[in-house]
Amino acid sequence: MSSDADAGSDTLVKVGPAEEFEDGDHEIVEVGRAEVGVIRADGEFYALRNQCPHDGGPVCTGPVHRELVGEFQGTGKRVSQEYGDESIVSCPWHGWSFELETGKHIGDDRIRVPTYEVVVEDGVVYVDGGD
Amino acid sequence: MIDAAEERVIDCDWHYQDSFKEVAEYMPEPWYTKYKRSNWDDAGVKQNLSSFFPTSTGDRQNYGKVVREHSNYPDEPEEPERVREGMDFLDIDVSLQISHLILAMGGVNADDERVQAFTKGYVEYMLEEVLDPDEGVYGLAPMPYGDVEASLDILERVEDEEAYVGACFVTAGASPPLGNRKYDPIYERCEEMDYPVVYHTGGSGLDEYVRAGYQEMIETHTLGFLESNMSQIVSVACQGVPEKYPDLDIVFMESGVTYIPGLVSRLDEEYLKRPEEAPLLDTRPSEYITDFYFGTQPLEISARNDLLELCFDMVGTDRMLYASDYPHWDFDSPSVINDLPMLDDDERRAMLAGNAEEVFGL
Repeated sequence: MSSDADAGSDTLVKVGPAEEFEDGDHEIVEVGRAEVGVIRADGEFYALRNQCPHDGGPVCTGPVHRELVGEFQGTGKRVSQEYGDESIVSCPWHGWSFELETGKHIGDDRIRVPTYEVVVEDGVVYVDGGD
Repeated sequence: MIDAAEERVIDCDWHYQDSFKEVAEYMPEPWYTKYKRSNWDDAGVKQNLSSFFPTSTGDRQNYGKVVREHSNYPDEPEEPERVREGMDFLDIDVSLQISHLILAMGGVNADDERVQAFTKGYVEYMLEEVLDPDEGVYGLAPMPYGDVEASLDILERVEDEEAYVGACFVTAGASPPLGNRKYDPIYERCEEMDYPVVYHTGGSGLDEYVRAGYQEMIETHTLGFLESNMSQIVSVACQGVPEKYPDLDIVFMESGVTYIPGLVSRLDEEYLKRPEEAPLLDTRPSEYITDFYFGTQPLEISARNDLLELCFDMVGTDRMLYASDYPHWDFDSPSVINDLPMLDDDERRAMLAGNAEEVFGL
């Protein structure tokens, strides 16, 4: 998730001008030895390791959507389904999907893609590769 | 190792060899009269006869090889006192009786009231003639689940009867499958009554259980009993029955245990790729399914021990229920549990009786 803190830090990796991102766009950068995807969704920036824990696919290059959620409406009623508030990215290889905010798999929160802090300063997007 | 004969043993699946002729006496009109005038007689008890026609491949008694000393099956309807005789033979203290004839209900496709009439008659017949809690003979009430109202009527009828301790759903032929919201009112009522739902596999229609053309019962019985239970496990789990009715105890009966790890592993793989299609689940389907209880019969004792150990480990020995299936052709005696080398004595006692005591309140 993006923040405005400490753009002068040594650990920041420059991604590019914020204005070049539309919602759903991603940019891949190297952070140390890791490939990280920076994704914009609903005007916010998120960064996740670009390696799906399933089969190593480029998860951050996949489509960004709202999670489809269901709710029990009562005995005998059809389960309601609607797109919720959570933005997710789906690995284009097999569809494993993760919350952008937390990196958690939407079906099993024990599975997680590492997330990174995103900093936007002076219109430029950075990933914080620090601890 | 424990001495099973000295321990309490609860058999969660004994098939009372009910006959149409006897149950008809308790059927509501107009079915009582229709039956009397129909010439149906006991048909259905003798599966070797029915299997000659394409309701089920092959002869269950393996063409005269399998005989039963402590039951009239398969030649004549059972006599109630022979149940206790058979239980003594197997050193079983408590048995749960499941209708033999109802296993064919999945083959009924007509929109008539055969199944409703039979199940209503059956619960009365069993109460009057067979079930006897003082002797350890309890029953599961068969659900004519295609008709939700009739199912609720049966639950209402048996609610205060000590002799009934759960509801039985035959898994073959259920369409839509049993996770469908159509059946919610039955599950809701069972949860309210603290009645376990026992899904029992069935073999009707096995000639074409998925495709026509099999030749022998070894093929269709192996596959059909698995498919019938697996199809309902997938439906019940994916449609979120355990989330809708969290206090409902779910039991699957009579497909052994080795299919469970394979099924849940495959289902989990699918789920992780498309979890939004099972939107009521908070986690992998396997987490729900391994909370179900499983009747162990016919236990695959010829399998590698490490495979059986894996099954018990994945599902939990606290979820396994001994079931004999007596007097059917592939019954298990309690020794199949007692002889398992990977169990300790507490686990043996739990599988032979303790788990059933807890689920069925015995």
